[in-house]
Amino acid sequence: MSRIKRFFRTYKPFTRAGMQEMIAYRANFICHLIGEIMAAFIMYFVWKAVFLSSDSETFMGFTMEDMVVYIFITFLTGYMTYSDGAFAVGEEIIDGSIAMRMIKPCSFEMCFLFQELGSRLISISMIFVPMVAGVEIYRYAVCGEVRFQIGYFLLYIVSLLLAYMISFYFNVCYGFMAFFFKNLWGTTLIKETLVSFLSGAIIPLAFMPSGLAAVLNILPFASLSYTPVMIYMGMYSTSQILWSFGLQIFWVVVMYGVTKLIWRSAVRHLSVQGG
Amino acid sequence: MKRYLRLHRIFVVQYLKKLMEYKVDFLLGAIGLLITQAIQILFLGIIFSQIPSLIGYTFPQILFIYGFSLIPKSLDHLLTDNLWMVGYRIVRKGEFDKYLTRPINTLFHVVSENFCVDAFGEMLSCILLLGYSIPQLDMPFHWYTIPLALVAVVFATLIYTSLKIMTAAIAFWTKASGHIIHMLYMVNDFSKYPVTIYNKAVQTIITYVIPFAFTAYYPASYFLTGKNPLFCIGGTVIAGTVMFALAVFVWNRGLRAYESVGS
Amino acid sequence: MENMIYAENLRKEFKKIIKEPGLKGSVKSLFHPKKEIVKAVDGISFEVPKGEILGFIGPNGAGKSTVIKMLTGILMPTSGMCRINGKIPQEDRKNYVREIGVVFGQRTQLWWDLALRETYAVLKEIYQVPDDQYQKRMAFLNEVLELDSFITSPVRTLSLGQRMRADIAASLLHSPKVLFLDEPTIGLDVVVKDNIRNAIMEINKEEGTTVILTTHDLADIELLCERIVMIDKGKKVFDGGISELKCNFGDVRTLEFELVNAPDFKLLDYHRRFHLTEDELSAERDGSLACVRFDTAEVSVEDVISYTLSTVHVKDLNIKSVEIEEIIKRLYRREVSL
Repeated sequence: MSRIKRFFRTYKPFTRAGMQEMIAYRANFICHLIGEIMAAFIMYFVWKAVFLSSDSETFMGFTMEDMVVYIFITFLTGYMTYSDGAFAVGEEIIDGSIAMRMIKPCSFEMCFLFQELGSRLISISMIFVPMVAGVEIYRYAVCGEVRFQIGYFLLYIVSLLLAYMISFYFNVCYGFMAFFFKNLWGTTLIKETLVSFLSGAIIPLAFMPSGLAAVLNILPFASLSYTPVMIYMGMYSTSQILWSFGLQIFWVVVMYGVTKLIWRSAVRHLSVQGG
Repeated sequence: MKRYLRLHRIFVVQYLKKLMEYKVDFLLGAIGLLITQAIQILFLGIIFSQIPSLIGYTFPQILFIYGFSLIPKSLDHLLTDNLWMVGYRIVRKGEFDKYLTRPINTLFHVVSENFCVDAFGEMLSCILLLGYSIPQLDMPFHWYTIPLALVAVVFATLIYTSLKIMTAAIAFWTKASGHIIHMLYMVNDFSKYPVTIYNKAVQTIITYVIPFAFTAYYPASYFLTGKNPLFCIGGTVIAGTVMFALAVFVWNRGLRAYESVGS
Repeated sequence: MENMIYAENLRKEFKKIIKEPGLKGSVKSLFHPKKEIVKAVDGISFEVPKGEILGFIGPNGAGKSTVIKMLTGILMPTSGMCRINGKIPQEDRKNYVREIGVVFGQRTQLWWDLALRETYAVLKEIYQVPDDQYQKRMAFLNEVLELDSFITSPVRTLSLGQRMRADIAASLLHSPKVLFLDEPTIGLDVVVKDNIRNAIMEINKEEGTTVILTTHDLADIELLCERIVMIDKGKKVFDGGISELKCNFGDVRTLEFELVNAPDFKLLDYHRRFHLTEDELSAERDGSLACVRFDTAEVSVEDVISYTLSTVHVKDLNIKSVEIEEIIKRLYRREVSL
């Protein structure tokens, strides 16, 4: 118990720092948020046009209502699981301050994690509740009944947390790419586009050819966005949910292991460089 | 003017020399932009596999509008990418001092110093899209179509660049405005599709407030149908001129407010 | 002589948001940002005649850089005006900057990724230097600043000393009438500093270039400047020649007596003998040395020596003349009031 207490005492300052940073850069944060929401609205209008142009009520099994929930919950999930780890690690590698991490008595990725947690707490309060409420009000207005199910919502939260952990470790791994590239702009663009495609954020995996969809479902990217969203929408059966959780946990463990491996070799790399 | 063109050429040549040192970065940037566009097209492809037309627009027509939207976007990207740096870093770190001590126009100097070849990724997607869609479309063609297209492209790019100048110039007051430029880029995405898919409010905004619709949909729809040249092309010219005048005004006001950094 | 630079009542104010420490402070500043107006430069006037080298000194944050930035047209003064070579920088910036050269020691003006030679070629175009003049100029700058050994290297690979020489050469390429140097010797070793000082001196002599330089290195001032302007907290606290500074702030001398018997030091009681306070005269023991520092306006050198010699046995005597550094240190500490 005291170990856990000490653990939290070590990292609490990072969380506070993360919150302060978020508040200090609030204008940036709000601009960024508005920009991202606009992208979701473009998707909304495109799909509205699709349903207007279509003779049937459903599009590959999705109703307009499903699609709206899908678009905005996907947006929310992407926003909540977005991790700056790559950028933070990359920046520190480029300016050399990563070496300082080694002389501090705390785990390097935990510092990032807890710092990010601080800013996440603020985004939750500012976006999470209004977004979920908005989606549910829309659903109520369209169907005339409350579709919100607390059970699925709680499962979604669990899945979201797992997705965040995968995203965090994946991005920390990716940040180490800065050892090889001076400028991460191009690779980041490729990474973000591919991840959003492979995770079903642009096109629901259900719309893809079944073979491809099956493969994508197993890859870690589906666990980042598609899985939590499907759980929220109540599209998954109990066995599917259990299987998804298992898969998500599996990927958290794998990403964590890879991060540790890279960190260990990076430490060696740095000490060799330092002479 | 001649001197500025000469200077611009010198900057571009210098930039290309520098680029040779960072070949891989450039290639990755271009590939990234290409993949981004490819996935968007795939998305449209999946939609059109299920429906014959999107509120009256066929697949090739949508691709044409989409492709047209990439022309001003990629040109602006190629020529004025350094404005991003104004928003993110140059003002905040006081690096803007340098431009103010040189006997040439600051806006020109900042813009021409960088030349973003990553934009070739967008240009390539643009060429592929137009090359694929145009032969399938029965577009009206006259002797003046090509000159009008050039005019439309120039002024559409000007709209784009002007909006970027204005948002970058906000940094003179707030130190950094990169996120506002980013927001602008997201608004720009509205112009990739026919404005008729949006509701009235969005249509009004992207036509009269932030006239991104004139960078793609309006001119493209003229070339598709031959209708409304006055509004579609004339509107683009007017929007481009007004926006540019406004941008220069905001920029110059920004220079007066520039605070540099204490050292 | 005509004045090259003329500044009248220059003021510059910045708005600053004050943030209280801690998370609570962050939240508070979110809702009620406290703003404060900082007077970085608070009514400074001075003139610089053509061909003079003026030293601009003051502690960190005194407003030196802000003044330089207003003179170079980078910042808009909140009020007041400056005129350089008959032009107001903010009015016709493009024409004005053609006639000045600016070096910020902390930050390079060169293109990071270009070879130095290419950088000069670009600057030649920007400043429209004709070909033949450019050749001559490069040869001259090469000779003065010894650029040859690194002119083909990219700027990012230059050492700090090389970079500074390169930056100074870049600022002189278009033969400016006025040269602004903001901390041109910061972080450099003694040899390079010397090299740069000589170059500044030579250019000033050969071409009559007016130079304004800010520095923290007082050796720069003593070796280069005929005149200094000292500012503190945005206000001018001194303006005059170096000899005038010494004269105004008293001629402080330090005498060092080497005593035969070190413990004899306690026999010396200058304060009682001359009726002086600790501020007016200080006596310290350093091994067998007795160091006496005093203001010649209060007591003469002769009196101090004769009293010392008559009180204790002295092996050796050393008279140290006043150093400008001493005066400025006292000024910074506000020991000297004006």
